[in-house]
Amino acid sequence: MTMQRIFGSPMAGVVSVDGLRKRYRRHDPWAVDGVTFALEPGQAFGLLGPNGAGKSTVVKIIAGLLRPDEGKVELFGSDPGDPASRKNLGFAPEDPDFPKFLRAAEVLDYFASLLGLDEAERRRRIPETLEFAGLDKERRQVRQYSKGMKQRLGIAQAILGRPKLLILDEPTADLDPLGRRDVRALIDQLKESGVAVLLNSHLLSEVELVCDTVAILAKGRVLKEGTMADVVPQGKNLEDVFVELVQANAPARDQLPSFITEKDKP
Amino acid sequence: MSGTLAVVRYSLVELSRRRILIVFFAVGAAGIVLIATLLKVFTTALTGNVSFQSSGSSLDPATLDHALELGFVSDIISVLGLFALLIAFGIGMTVIYHDLESGAAISIFSKPVSRVAFTAGKVAAAIVAMIVIVGVLGIEARLVMVLFGTGDLGPALWWETVAQVANAITLMLLVMALSTWMNNIIAAVVAFIYNAVAGVVVALHAQALAGGLGNNAVLKTGLDVLYWVVPHALISDAPREIAKAEFALVAAASRGGPTADQFLSSVPSASGATDILWWAFGIAVFALLVYSAVRRRQV
Repeated sequence: MTMQRIFGSPMAGVVSVDGLRKRYRRHDPWAVDGVTFALEPGQAFGLLGPNGAGKSTVVKIIAGLLRPDEGKVELFGSDPGDPASRKNLGFAPEDPDFPKFLRAAEVLDYFASLLGLDEAERRRRIPETLEFAGLDKERRQVRQYSKGMKQRLGIAQAILGRPKLLILDEPTADLDPLGRRDVRALIDQLKESGVAVLLNSHLLSEVELVCDTVAILAKGRVLKEGTMADVVPQGKNLEDVFVELVQANAPARDQLPSFITEKDKP
Repeated sequence: MSGTLAVVRYSLVELSRRRILIVFFAVGAAGIVLIATLLKVFTTALTGNVSFQSSGSSLDPATLDHALELGFVSDIISVLGLFALLIAFGIGMTVIYHDLESGAAISIFSKPVSRVAFTAGKVAAAIVAMIVIVGVLGIEARLVMVLFGTGDLGPALWWETVAQVANAITLMLLVMALSTWMNNIIAAVVAFIYNAVAGVVVALHAQALAGGLGNNAVLKTGLDVLYWVVPHALISDAPREIAKAEFALVAAASRGGPTADQFLSSVPSASGATDILWWAFGIAVFALLVYSAVRRRQV
């Protein structure tokens, strides 16, 4: 199955995020605080940060799932809250879940209908997508799936609509090494066919392999942003840069629990 | 529109696979057949061996048989109503709650579907499921009645089935609306309490109209207000038709009893156009509550 056949021509100005701020309750600290970036066709953008940095909040706002409190977000030039703007979006969420009494093919048919695909197109795309996800022989209902199988289905539904922007939120967290390799190959193919990819991952080696541009977030703020060459100086890797930046912006956590360090008494 | 239809289609597929609904439906279907069979066995044994004495007159076996048939119809209506309520809880607790709580909503709402289309699909699927399930139970009840004989009360049962479905839809939408704001079990408990309170209000209102609560104008006005504040249950001709038939039996078996008007005064008459409009308004309000919760939900 070639990705070039699945994905269509790119569009200019995929995502623009400007001064984005979001908090979940009035007195909470900002989950996202003044984030700005843009994503162009064919670009793979890595959004990095420790737990609670605000990465998932940013991608959910871009996907129209959350409303920003301040700032402006445009998806293909429109408000992500407008359903039409999400026509060319594929979103594979972290810990994906689906209507649990449906089977994989039914989930894809359901989502294909939501995408407005006609019967002939559904018949063509669904078996191919299931095959790509390794779920073509799976007959059980989603409630019986492992986390890894749900993650595969999450990626499958995200690419079903031939998106021009693919958002992958921790896409390989529950995948085995083969699954991770497939996702990397998918991202490479998508980039070649002009699709923009927004990758949100803790696996820095993976991000380093596939992304052209990265932004490192902590406490909702962008600590550093740029091309991989800008962010990672010669002789260092992304993990070194990430740890330095995050530790400089967070209280030190170098003390292990005492029961770990103490020696067994005879 | 295609988004709404997709939500309807796959919500119905999901509902058809939910064990709780399958169990409620199976128990309801078996309950109707069981009651009918027991009643038939009981009727056959009783009319063959017993001469019933009342106020100096005796009921012949045919009259006694008719009395038991009326009891049968009344029991069937009760069984139908009970299972319509159970199914209302079953659908209301599950049709939208799991999508919103499980994270399925994240995948759904990232597609080009509006939340109003999603809500409309969920509400439509729930209503269709309710009509189909209770409708099938109603058809089964009618078939059982044809098999065992029910006099001329058949049409009344049809309208009673419609009323049961309508009342169950109100409760189902209330549970749905509440389950978008709170845990679905708590939603069911709140809806159950509401349903009990609404039932008491309707019963007291009927008593007040029949003069059973005296002539206290304040009490009557208060009950009137309460009756029109809570979306009250719709009533078909069936209870009155059954009461009329029972009165005919009582009149045949005794002398000097109450008049037909006295006998029927405490039996509520069928809902009128205003009640139906009020029901439709209640349905619209609950559907809007569901939409409001879905629209505000940040997943």
